[in-house]
Amino acid sequence: MAEIEFVHVSKSYGDTPAVRDLNLKVGEGEFVVLVGPSGCGKTTALRMVAGLEEITEGEIRIGDRVVNELAPRDRDIAMVFQNYALYPHKTVYENLAFGLRMRKVPKDEQRRRVEEIARKLGLADMLNRRPSQLSGGQRQRVAMGRAIVREPKAFLMDEPLSNLDAKLRVQMRAEIARIQKALEVTTLYVTHDQVEAMTMGDRVAVMRDGILQQVDTPQRLYDLPANLFVASFVGSPPMNLFEADVESDGAQLVFGDTRLDLGARSLRDYKGRRVVVGIRPEEVREASGWDGAHVGGRVLLVEALGAEQLVHIEIAATPLERADLVDAAAQPPGPSLGVEELERSVTLLGRFDRHLLLTPGEAVEVAIDPRLLHFFDLETGAALPTADVPAVAGVAG
Amino acid sequence: MSSVTQIAPTPVAPAVTRPRSRKRLRKAGWNVLGLVVLAVMVFPVYWMVSTAFKPGHDILSYTPQWIPTHPVLSNFTDAIHQQFFWNAVKNSLIVTTVVVVLSLVLAFLAALALAKFSFYGRKPFIVVILGVQMVPLAALIIPLYILMSRVHQVDKLSGVIVMYLTFVLPFAVWTLRGFLLGVPKELEESAMVDGATRFGAFVRILLPLLGPGLVATSIFAFIQAWNEFIIAYVFLHTPEKQTLMVWLASFTTLRGTDWGPLMAGATLCSLPVIVFFVLVQRKIAFGLTAGAVKG
Ligand SMILES: Nc1ncnc2c1ncn2[C@@H]1O[C@H](COP(=O)(O)OP(=O)(O)O)[C@@H](O)[C@H]1O
Ligand SMILES: [Mg+2]
Repeated sequence: MAEIEFVHVSKSYGDTPAVRDLNLKVGEGEFVVLVGPSGCGKTTALRMVAGLEEITEGEIRIGDRVVNELAPRDRDIAMVFQNYALYPHKTVYENLAFGLRMRKVPKDEQRRRVEEIARKLGLADMLNRRPSQLSGGQRQRVAMGRAIVREPKAFLMDEPLSNLDAKLRVQMRAEIARIQKALEVTTLYVTHDQVEAMTMGDRVAVMRDGILQQVDTPQRLYDLPANLFVASFVGSPPMNLFEADVESDGAQLVFGDTRLDLGARSLRDYKGRRVVVGIRPEEVREASGWDGAHVGGRVLLVEALGAEQLVHIEIAATPLERADLVDAAAQPPGPSLGVEELERSVTLLGRFDRHLLLTPGEAVEVAIDPRLLHFFDLETGAALPTADVPAVAGVAG
Repeated sequence: MSSVTQIAPTPVAPAVTRPRSRKRLRKAGWNVLGLVVLAVMVFPVYWMVSTAFKPGHDILSYTPQWIPTHPVLSNFTDAIHQQFFWNAVKNSLIVTTVVVVLSLVLAFLAALALAKFSFYGRKPFIVVILGVQMVPLAALIIPLYILMSRVHQVDKLSGVIVMYLTFVLPFAVWTLRGFLLGVPKELEESAMVDGATRFGAFVRILLPLLGPGLVATSIFAFIQAWNEFIIAYVFLHTPEKQTLMVWLASFTTLRGTDWGPLMAGATLCSLPVIVFFVLVQRKIAFGLTAGAVKG
């Protein structure tokens, strides 16, 4: 077991940068998930740790050792590839034993370890099969088993679940997390799926365009996103975002016809300026019985999710113009159809109790509690410091 | 047949009432066509073999004899005892073996470079490899003859070997490159992370997966080198140095053609190709990389 550390690591392919000045430390036995949209440099970062990609600048350490110039085989790490990379001409047994054979582990020891892993992963009956005779889920298990059986210093996993169907994915998600906890092996796990990241990681590192945005525990990432990108990327459905003006006294926020008292969260440094306001769908509430400003809106769509319902509500506010600052996949639903009187309108997603009866077209009032709002700079997208940052967690209960 | 299955999934008019029987009819049509083509291909081979077993008067009779009624082996003994037969066998074996081995080794290394490394001028090189295969060989014979005579390679097996390599190599490189590209690079990488050296990953993972490609290439090189006639005929003058295909031509003289022994000799010459093919074809298991990736 060992820690993995990136120290000012950069990687360029020709002139195109793939990873820029990455600083990240995966502690001993820790499970860190590297998450970000496709093409943001996750795989590249992982491959540099494995030694499959040269490092353009900076240092990567495994344990106390700088491994920049070390061959992959000397790094004592195991990697699970996105496409599994099983050896097609070898049986499951030979696939599992390959790493042990390469390391000259005695034959009977090899057999013992392979059989033990096969039993644990439910592969005991298929040791003599070829990869082509396995289902997708079984191949995935073989790929996992091949990494585990080596008992390496660290695991690297590149989207190991992305080729599985949804049900199997949820199941394997828990299983991988369980195995990692049991083995206490340092793990760097790459995915583009924020749900996977949030559910599996001890800590989550969010990346975008080769730049690390924020590293924190899943809960803190959710509660205190460092910028607009993280705010829009983490959480499903994503955070509602729109623009609003801060009054010249810094104590009130104006959007559409709404005037919101910021109370203790006054934005003193942003007096008279425009900011981005964010609110999580579960904090958008039907007005009756809730504090905060009441905002009038209209129900556009109701999506029943069983335990709750997802309600699209149109309110008067200015949509966020800077699409480049948020996650492209998390764009709010497009402009509504034919609501002329609300020229500048924003669709708020609200997660409501299922007992609330709402029909599309109906007028509705939502309560927006200033204590639950997130604020971001319109230019840089950075989260704004307010007087009482930790309030979010405190109020939520 | 594949063209049928490609056309089939686009049903244009829903008005077609009995697409089933229509499909069957079309399928039958293609099958008949296939059989006709097969017959056209197989008949000359059959005629060669059957003629080889016929005595002289049966061969030249006006009513064609479809099956040899009095099969004889004399044509074969005649052919074998023909002058220079064993010389020709030896020469053909030398030329073919050297061409197969050299083309495999050289083409494999070249294909490896083309598939796995990026270097200046790689794209043009690939285009050139394709391009040279389109030049008709006959157009090159005279310039090549002059070229080879300047370096004293006319009437030598080594000269013929070099000539054969010029057209076997491009095709072999192209084929092997395709096979190499079919092996995901993650397989080797995974082996390297698992503790293999680069060379170890190459030998243990890549090479076994390339088996079918190497076999296909060697079959091609074997057939080309063994069956080639024009170059050998032009370049090899001395009877002792001629290959089997040139030796076969010696049955046709100014006084006529000795059909029986010629067909017997031709049959004998075809045997090695068939034997070689049967020996290696079991190794052509296409789709060997199935199951390597994804689910
Ligand atoms: N071998 C390569 N050559 C050139 N560009 C590459 C190569 N591999 C990746 N890239 C580029 O680097 C960026 C990051 O890629 P990657 O790390 O694979 O992203 P991710 O795994 O996050 O989807 C992408 O823009 C990709 O196009
Ligand atoms: Mg990737």
